[in-house]
Amino acid sequence: MKKRLGIIALFVLLFIAFIWVWNYSYFQGKEEAYIPINANKELPVVASEMGVFERSKYALDYANMPIDEAHQRSLKTYYENRAFYGAPPSIPHEVEDDRNMGENSCLKCHGNGGFTEKFKAYAPVTPHPEMVNCRQCHVPQKTQILFKETQFMRGTVPSAGTNNALEGSPPVIPHQLQMRENCLSCHAGPSAPKEIRVTHPERINCRQCHVLNNKVIEDIGIFKRSNANE
Amino acid sequence: MFTSTTNRRDFIKKMAKLSAITAAVSMFPGILFAEEQERGLPKDANLDWKKAPCRFCGVGCGVLVGVEKGKAVAVKGDPKSTVNKGLCCVKGYHSVMAMYGNDRLTKPLVKKNGTYVETTMDEALDLIASKMKETINDHGKDAVSIYGSGQWTIPDGYVASKLFKGCIGTNNVEANARLCMASAVTGFLTSFGLDEPMGCYEDIDHADVFVLWGNNMAEMHPVLFSRLLDQRLKRGVKIIDFATRTTRTSMAADKSILFLPQTDLAVANAICYEIIKNNWVNKSFVEKHCNFSKGLTNMGYGLEDKYKFTDKPEKISFEAYKTFLEDYTPEKVEKISGVSAKDIKYMAAYYGDPNKKVMSLWCMGPNQHSRGTWMNNLIYNIHLLTGKISTPGNSPFSLTGQPSACGTVREVGTLTHKLPHGVVMNKKHREFAAKIWDVPVENIDPKPTYHTVEMFRALDRGDIRFMWIQVTNPMVTMPKLKRYRDAAKKEGRFIVVSDIYPTPTTDIADVILPSAMWIEREGMYGNSERRTQYFEQMVEPPGEAISDTWQLVEVAKRLGYEKQFYYNKETHIEEIYAEYRKHHEGKKHNMAPLKVLKENSGMQWPYVDGKPTKWRFNSKYDPACSNGETFHFYGKPDGKAIIWQRPYEPAAEEPDAEYPYWLNTGRVVEHWHTGSMTRRIPVLHKAMPHGYVELNPDDAKRLQIQTGDRVKLTTRRGEIILPASVNQRGVPAPMQVFVPFFDENMLINDITLDSFCPISKEPDYKKCAVNIEKA
Repeated sequence: MKKRLGIIALFVLLFIAFIWVWNYSYFQGKEEAYIPINANKELPVVASEMGVFERSKYALDYANMPIDEAHQRSLKTYYENRAFYGAPPSIPHEVEDDRNMGENSCLKCHGNGGFTEKFKAYAPVTPHPEMVNCRQCHVPQKTQILFKETQFMRGTVPSAGTNNALEGSPPVIPHQLQMRENCLSCHAGPSAPKEIRVTHPERINCRQCHVLNNKVIEDIGIFKRSNANE
Repeated sequence: MFTSTTNRRDFIKKMAKLSAITAAVSMFPGILFAEEQERGLPKDANLDWKKAPCRFCGVGCGVLVGVEKGKAVAVKGDPKSTVNKGLCCVKGYHSVMAMYGNDRLTKPLVKKNGTYVETTMDEALDLIASKMKETINDHGKDAVSIYGSGQWTIPDGYVASKLFKGCIGTNNVEANARLCMASAVTGFLTSFGLDEPMGCYEDIDHADVFVLWGNNMAEMHPVLFSRLLDQRLKRGVKIIDFATRTTRTSMAADKSILFLPQTDLAVANAICYEIIKNNWVNKSFVEKHCNFSKGLTNMGYGLEDKYKFTDKPEKISFEAYKTFLEDYTPEKVEKISGVSAKDIKYMAAYYGDPNKKVMSLWCMGPNQHSRGTWMNNLIYNIHLLTGKISTPGNSPFSLTGQPSACGTVREVGTLTHKLPHGVVMNKKHREFAAKIWDVPVENIDPKPTYHTVEMFRALDRGDIRFMWIQVTNPMVTMPKLKRYRDAAKKEGRFIVVSDIYPTPTTDIADVILPSAMWIEREGMYGNSERRTQYFEQMVEPPGEAISDTWQLVEVAKRLGYEKQFYYNKETHIEEIYAEYRKHHEGKKHNMAPLKVLKENSGMQWPYVDGKPTKWRFNSKYDPACSNGETFHFYGKPDGKAIIWQRPYEPAAEEPDAEYPYWLNTGRVVEHWHTGSMTRRIPVLHKAMPHGYVELNPDDAKRLQIQTGDRVKLTTRRGEIILPASVNQRGVPAPMQVFVPFFDENMLINDITLDSFCPISKEPDYKKCAVNIEKA
């Protein structure tokens, strides 16, 4: 009897010790490790190249997807939603949660797109999902009545299908790349405006053929090769 | 596949041409067939992009403005700007639209028999000059005044100060930055002896923890807040929102801590108590670089006319300071502030952890505070006790509201006591300024006159008879507004307003001058991180509109100061800036020359040996440090910063049985201040068409109020009816309400209180007692 009690007591003790050790190591493991700041190196990115491949894992899906002509967007509605060419689009639907950051609300639909029964439309996919303070730039429109009329002129927008230098050559990119580096988010998939939808989304290295064309390209003056013999 | 012959012919032609071009290029390197190369490329959407700082807030984002056929048509963020790295907010992206409202003022208007009559710019300026002369003759030089703005460009503020302080000889120069940044200034001066932050925005990329003191950064400084969020994504930093109201910032933060209005004073002291109690004080730093002081208490609230207060600083020992903090144990403060002792200890632990770099950020919460100077001091106390200051990532950072509150008001010194370098009370400073201004030193009055609130009170009393208001809209923004609106309408007052649109302020004007705004002229702004940014003129101003600078120069010439206002119309901005730079020469404040500003996205001062100073008071970065130590707070004579003993005191008007709610006011992301610009931008107005009152859902339920219901707000100053907003953009704590002030049709400032911080004279827009009922 005594012996048995002793063995039971031993096991109880061992069990308690196990619980204690396990607990201790578990909470130790939870403790945040201090990471010195200088260990954080900047990611080596070429700013303008960043994001070209961002959505490439969906490229084959896009290529095989049938086109839903009844619900596709057009460039007209695309531009109507912007104050000028290049402006952040406003939100054309009601926003229920006016307080949250975008990762809990906006990105649910605009992170990856898809058809919404409510709006009978495909949600456009954001090219910059890492920026979650969405309503810093995108605001809903609660009224159509203006405070005062305006004379602001929208300026001209580039037309689609005229951007190739030669007949049949790949069109250049007529717009700014900043925050729009992720080509497939706007140029592929069911939410892409029909005029700018790419016929070959599976060729994911877009900028192999399509190059930037705008005045923002840095002017380095006339570049002249120096000749050592002169 | 079918191809038409013309196309084929075209194609062959093109091929021939192309081969010819290729041949030509290989034979004559450098030859370009521009026309041929650009053919078929979209010329239409290719705009000329020119850089400027954003027109709106104090962050000072770099923007690129697209101009087409003489009109600004597009905006994008400037990727080269270190401030915003290419990102803007919704106001910035649509900022150029603010220039094209239909009701833009294009001709000077003069009030004759109650109606406004169009006149020419010359006549209007003649009238202003003659009215000023007349007022000075009849009532003395202290009867004329100018009320400017933190949206003034640097040259605007500089010529205003030179004209009024140097030439006319009155210190009646004030600016609306008194209503937003004065407490930050006095906070800096009392703690460090020199104005403006020691750190810069780059601190955000180094800090591990961010404590936001009463600062809804997600809406008010969205571009910087996105930088915080970006750092969280990359490095997992912590964001703590310490506020009185639940906002987008609270939702985004890792921890949201709510406190009762005014008790931030107690909580800040409790954090210091915890730091000392737990031995987290950086002893060698405090011994080498800090003094302890206390000032007067029970200062009052400035509610009465001609209220005066001068602090009497007194040195104390560390032991005395420690004893003082005994009243602020977390447990005691929990009872006053509604913040649990656990949360206080949580914040203190981050400040105290030597391995964590902490950045404190604040703006109007601690500034528009009846103890604003104290609140600023207290935040510096925390950073000084722990030695977390003036190093990358360790930064108490006072954010600014307006694009040039720092550049124009604080650096040029368009406040009653200030000169571009130093203060009017100091004889040497007066002599220095007089020499550069080319005026007799006796011209500069050694006595400061009125701060903003007192200036409008003086207008009411009749001590001031003439006021020129530029780039600001005080008839929406003054607290206890009704008194000052009635004052301005009184007989025998002459008000000149320079603006771009009709506003409630132009409604009280005798002369309205149309101004050229932002990129319709040339100028500079100075942002929160001591960065001066230049912008060129990109479009023509409408009608007869001219810049505020040139309006002042023209009037100065008419008053007989041609000698001091010798500037040429074509080059005056450059000349004024070159003259202004002389005031700041030296290692402590040198400004970059205009050429440097033009070539870069702005430049930070002190600009020494061709380099900006990112962290002041740190000898590693700041060439002005001269004591041989790591840190040198050279703003104070002994090179030591001051840790201030500042107690908790209640607000001027706290809720009682009759007025049981707190009333808080502020901004929204869509609108800039009084909305005179942003409400004329269709996207922004449509997003936020009118003002509202935010209620706590529990209060709303009890009062049976739903979103959209009419709610009557009553204070001791009057009443106003607003639509309710329940559980939308923000949620105030129970028994508190929040109203944005942008809507000129719902003037919330009619019922706010004009109490102010006795040291900084900045009004407390965040606290007064109000009653609410369903209307």
